[in-house]
Amino acid sequence: MNQNTIKRNNINISGKGKKAIIFAPGFGCDQTVWKDVSPAFEEEYQVILFDYVGIGSSDLSAFDPVKYSKLSGYVQDVLDVCAALDLKEAIFVGHSVSSMIGLLASISKPNYFSHLIMIGPSPCYLNDPPGYYGGFEKEDLVNLIDMMEKNYIGWANSFSITLLNNIERAEVAKNLENRFCSTDPLIATTFAKACFFTDNRRDIVKVKVPSLILQCTDDIIAPNVVGEYLKMNMPNSRITYMNAIGHCPHMSDPEETIQSIKNYLTNQTETLVGEGVGGV
Amino acid sequence: MENLIENAPCGFMTLTKDGRILTINNKLVKLLEYPSSELLIGKHFNVALSNSARIFIQFYFLPLIIAKHYVEEMYLSLTTANGEEIPILLNASLQKNNEIICVIVPMLNRSALEDELINARKMAENAYHEKEKVLLELEVALRSLNKKQQELMETNQLNAKFKLDTERELQLAKKIQQTALTKDIINDNIQILSYYHASKSLSGDIYGFYQITPHKYGVILLDVMGHGISSALVTMSLQSLFQKLISQGVAPEIVVRELDQYLHELFQNNQDAWHYCTAIYLNIDTSTQTIEYINAGHPPAIFQEENGTQHELFATNPPLGTFENISFKPKKVNYTPGARILLYTDGVSEALMLNTLNHLLYDSLRTSLTETKDIIQKTLENMGSKSEKYNSDDQCFILIEL
Repeated sequence: MNQNTIKRNNINISGKGKKAIIFAPGFGCDQTVWKDVSPAFEEEYQVILFDYVGIGSSDLSAFDPVKYSKLSGYVQDVLDVCAALDLKEAIFVGHSVSSMIGLLASISKPNYFSHLIMIGPSPCYLNDPPGYYGGFEKEDLVNLIDMMEKNYIGWANSFSITLLNNIERAEVAKNLENRFCSTDPLIATTFAKACFFTDNRRDIVKVKVPSLILQCTDDIIAPNVVGEYLKMNMPNSRITYMNAIGHCPHMSDPEETIQSIKNYLTNQTETLVGEGVGGV
Repeated sequence: MENLIENAPCGFMTLTKDGRILTINNKLVKLLEYPSSELLIGKHFNVALSNSARIFIQFYFLPLIIAKHYVEEMYLSLTTANGEEIPILLNASLQKNNEIICVIVPMLNRSALEDELINARKMAENAYHEKEKVLLELEVALRSLNKKQQELMETNQLNAKFKLDTERELQLAKKIQQTALTKDIINDNIQILSYYHASKSLSGDIYGFYQITPHKYGVILLDVMGHGISSALVTMSLQSLFQKLISQGVAPEIVVRELDQYLHELFQNNQDAWHYCTAIYLNIDTSTQTIEYINAGHPPAIFQEENGTQHELFATNPPLGTFENISFKPKKVNYTPGARILLYTDGVSEALMLNTLNHLLYDSLRTSLTETKDIIQKTLENMGSKSEKYNSDDQCFILIEL
């Protein structure tokens, strides 16, 4: 195991099972978003939680603004986590943008993954008329970044902490007792730009690992049309429509989320047995 | 109380956990430019939000309210029924009944101020980046400077080694030059002693004295212009020539003429390397008690009779290697036993006061030749240690007692 990655990405492992299930938090949040979901998998699986570099209790000093200005930087984080734990055929559960990060990671190293569970995924947030409706115009996303910056005024009053040297940064970091879903403005806006302006529509057709799309009701960030677009274009994918409203079913409706994931996984195992390939 | 909330100077509303509006006060309805609250109740809060605020609510507000049960000072932008945007601050808390209470304060003026703050921060960040860049450039310059310094030190070491090697070579060359010098002659008829001192490792002075026949002796002293390596090289080539000529017993004028011609030939096609020399040659015959001499531009030799009377053997010709086709004709003097002759180069005479050599020679009339040589040598060495000036030229003298 690579201790550097474990510390850098704040990897936490729990559970009694052998097969690994990785939970990847969505945009801007740390691994605590899974607290109502991940324990339900500890009986059967080895549960792996982590934070992307720059978020939560990860090593802020490892944040490289160039590397993390592209989605590939976060994809590398996922690959590093898999490599550090020597994972094979793990289930990857990603929320929001993390489902795309997991998808890209699985294209690069298919052996690491057995299934992708994508909660509220979107291959492209921008509208691309007439063929594609992502939900947003460029202006909306620019305003979002502006809104993010204004929400950081309260505590990151002058410089963003990544610009300070390590010692000072460590002190600032200590003061941020509540870092849940609130990161350094530079890191957050870097992540936001990497997420929101990418277009992965060409990548989704290349995926080799079977996947499940969890489609919420009234999700303005990943609307039904986007989920259906994915279902249509991703080989070996299934879609489950949830009653949960909004974009964060793992937080608002953890029970339904757990059940949807488990149903899919059970179903997959039975299919394999039925085909004579072998069970778990 | 109900009435107070309706008309409070801030927006007030309650939401379901997933964001549907349950109640809303008058102030907020007016702010959103709706005719009545009925058009809003039951709708999702999204209807009153800009597109970007809708994403923000999903990414930040709802996760925070679920995880922490409260949100403070969240900046959002509302959209009115007429499509106008209103920047607001939002405080909210999650109640036990899973309802979310929201308090909303518009901040039109403050928002402009914050825009300026953000701009100022960005400028400061840019300035910081610029500074970092300059620092980086400085570091590169420093590294290059260190490298140059290292190179300089290496060159210095090479130079020091080269200097050491050269010094060793010079010492070896000095030994070679000194082996070319003839040894003192002491017998019943004649005593010839010499002193030889180079200003640097190598000397531009050279001498030789040879017993040609049982009664004939040839004595020569040359001073090649300059001093150091180039002059020393010329002395060595002249030495090999005069040694041969004098040993064969050729006439003085032939010895000197051959040396003169040799210098002319040597530098005929190479004016840059041109060297000339002064020389004095004595041909002593102890049987006839005569001395034939030729002085080519050399300081006069002192000839002292047994009674102390001194004569000077002045130049008979210009220096060798200067004018071509000069005829050399030796002069002749007779002597009686006990007479002494002192030949010297200008390095000797210039180190001493005028007539010092004459006085030294005269004063040591009754002392042995060896002691006389010691006296002159010590006088020279004293002067040499007193001042560098007196030590800057090659010094050589020959002392003869007949």
